[in-house]
Amino acid sequence: MDVSASKVIGVTNLVKTYGSVKAVNQISFEVAEGEVFGMLGPNGAGKTTTVEIMEGLRTADSGSATVLGMDVSKDTRAVKERIGVQSQSPALFPGLKVREIINFFRSLYKKSVPTAQIIELAALQESRDVLFRNLSGGQQQRLSVALAFVNDPEIIFLDEPTTGLDPQARRAMWEVIETFQRAGKTVVLTTHYMEEAQRLCDRIAIMDYGQIIALDSPQRLIESNIKESAIQFKMKDYPGDQVLTSLPDVSKVVREGDDIIIYTHNIPSAISGLLSMASQRSTELSELSVRQATLEDVFLKLTGKRIRD
Amino acid sequence: MRAFAAVFVARYQQFIRDRAALFFSFAFPIIFILLFGWALGNMGTQTFKVGIANEGSDNTTMYITIGLNSVVLKGDVNMFKTESGNLDDLMASLRGGNLDAVIDIPPGMDPLSYGQSDNVQVYYDASQTINQQMLIPALSQVINKIAEWRGGYTPPIGMNQESVQTHELRYIDFLLPGILGMTLMFIGVQGGLPVIQQRQAHIIKRLGSTPLRRSTLVLGDLLFRMIVILASAALIMLVGRLVFDVKMIGNWFSLCGIILLGSLVFVSLGYLIAALVKTQESAIPVVQIVNLPMMILSGTFFSVASMPAFIEPLIKILPLTYLNDALRQIMVSGTPLHSMTTDIAVLAAWAVACLAVTIRFFKWD
Repeated sequence: MDVSASKVIGVTNLVKTYGSVKAVNQISFEVAEGEVFGMLGPNGAGKTTTVEIMEGLRTADSGSATVLGMDVSKDTRAVKERIGVQSQSPALFPGLKVREIINFFRSLYKKSVPTAQIIELAALQESRDVLFRNLSGGQQQRLSVALAFVNDPEIIFLDEPTTGLDPQARRAMWEVIETFQRAGKTVVLTTHYMEEAQRLCDRIAIMDYGQIIALDSPQRLIESNIKESAIQFKMKDYPGDQVLTSLPDVSKVVREGDDIIIYTHNIPSAISGLLSMASQRSTELSELSVRQATLEDVFLKLTGKRIRD
Repeated sequence: MRAFAAVFVARYQQFIRDRAALFFSFAFPIIFILLFGWALGNMGTQTFKVGIANEGSDNTTMYITIGLNSVVLKGDVNMFKTESGNLDDLMASLRGGNLDAVIDIPPGMDPLSYGQSDNVQVYYDASQTINQQMLIPALSQVINKIAEWRGGYTPPIGMNQESVQTHELRYIDFLLPGILGMTLMFIGVQGGLPVIQQRQAHIIKRLGSTPLRRSTLVLGDLLFRMIVILASAALIMLVGRLVFDVKMIGNWFSLCGIILLGSLVFVSLGYLIAALVKTQESAIPVVQIVNLPMMILSGTFFSVASMPAFIEPLIKILPLTYLNDALRQIMVSGTPLHSMTTDIAVLAAWAVACLAVTIRFFKWD
C-alpha cells in the first residue's frame, strides 16, 4: 500500500516519558486514508499513550504527530472536531438518559449526525430513555463506541472497542467498523483480540516496550515471521522441551499453560514422531490440532508474551 | 455557546435525578427552619436592660436613649429599658446581673453635630448566649440608624421609630441567616463530588477528546451551581417570610453580594477537595469532616460566643463563622457592607487560598 500518497496520520520520532519509563520511544509510522490500522501489544507497550497523543489528549516530549494535515499539538481543537474517539473506559454521565448523552455529545461539535442514527448504531432503540447507569455493561460499551461516530468523523480511534462484548455484539461491532471503512474513512484500532485484528486490519503495528517491533499487513506479518505450521495439543506428563525439539522436523516448542505448540515444516513427519513418542511413554495426547500460524503465533514469537497477560 | 448550554443542561438533568443533592440543597434547610422555628422560634421576645453612662455628650446620649426607647415589640412592650448613671455603678450592675448591657459614650463625642466619627463602647455578658445574639444586633441597628443621620440633616425621630418598631428579634430571626450560610456551604462543598466521580470514571478524559474546552466545562458547572444556590437561598427566605414572618432588614444587593462571595468560598473549597482527593469513596468522609464541624461550631444554630473558649481559635479560622456573621448582620441589623470588612476580607482570603491550591494541585485525569 502506498501510504504517503494519501496520508491522513503521520507520526515522526515520537517520545513520551513518564518518570524514568519511556512509554513511547522514538516511534514513526503513517496511516493512509481509508485504512484500518491496528495496534497490538502487551499492556504497557505504549499503544494507548501513542493513540492519546494522536487524539490530542497528551503532548509528546519530542517528535511530531500530524492528523489530517494538521499538527495535533497546535491545531488540537480543529483536529478534535474531525476525529472520533472511543476510550478504553466506556463510562459516561450515569444520571443521563441514552438520548440525552447523545444530544450532549452532538452539541459539542459543529457537525453531527442525527441522534436516531447513533441510537441505531448502538442498537439501543429500546433503551433510548434509560439512564446510563441502568444499562448493561455491553450496552454501555456499545453506546461508548457509537458516540465516537457522533460528529461524522474522518478518522476514528477505537481503543479496544469490543472488550466486554459478547461474541454476537462483537461481530455486530466489526460490521459497523467495516461499513465505516467502506465509506472511505480511516480507523485506528487497538485490540487484544487477534481474530479481530486479523479480520479488520489492513496493517498492524506490533508494539513492545514503547517501540514498534513489526509493521505490516496481517498476512505478511505471519508469512515473514513464521514459515511453519503449528501443531497444538495437551499432554498429561510433559516430557520436557528437549524430547519435543528432538522429534523429526520440529523447529520450535512453545508452552502456554496446558497447551503445547510445536512448529514444523513437515506436518506428517512431525505428527507421526509425536504419536510414537506418546505411545512409547504411554502418555495421552488430547485436543490435538494442526493449524496455520496466526497473528497470535507471531505476537508470541516477537514479544515472548501472550497478548492477554 | 452551544457547548456551554449543553454542559449546563447536562448538569441540570443530573441534578434533578440526584436525590441526595436535591435533599441537601432544598429539603434539608427547610426541615431545619421548620423544626427549630416551631420549637424555639418565639424564644427571646424579651426586654433588655441597658445602662447608659452619663459622662458622655448630652446630644449623643439623648439620641441613643430615644433610639433605644423607640424599639417596640409585639404587645407594645419596649425592647429596651434604659437607665443612666455613672460608668462604675452601671458596670457593677452589669456584673451583678441587673443589667444586660452598658453603653459608654466618650466625653465630647457628638458626631451628629460635628460630623466626626467615633465609636461608643458596649459592655455585655457574652455567656448569655441567645439573648446576646439579639441584644447586640438590635443595639447596633439602633446605633447604625443614628449614625445615618450624620451628614447635615436631622430627620425626625419618628422615622427611626417607624423602621424598627415592628422588628421583633426572635430565635428564628437569629437562625435563618445561619441556615442560609450552612446551606451555601453544603451546596458548595458537595459540588466537588461529581467532579471526582467523573474524573475517576474517565468521563472528563472522554470529554477531553472532544472540542469541548475545559473552561466551558467549568463555567457551565459553575453557573448551574450558582443558580441552585440562589434558588435555595430564595426558598429559605421565602419560607422564613411566609411561615415565620422573618424580615430582611438590610440591603438586598448587599445580601446577594455576601451570598455570592460565600458561595465562591465553598464552591472553591469543593474544587479544592476534588484537587486533593482522588476517589469518591474517600471524598465523601472528607466532605463530612469539612461540613459537620462548621455546621456545629460556626454559629448556625448557637451563638459562637456560647462555645467553650478552647475551641475559639478553631472557630475563628472557619469561613462559615464569617459568612454566618455577615448574613446575620445584614438580615437582622441591616449593617452596611463597609461595616463588615473583617467578614468580607476573611471570606475573600479563603476563596483566594482555595482557588490557588486548587489550581496548583488539580489534575484532570
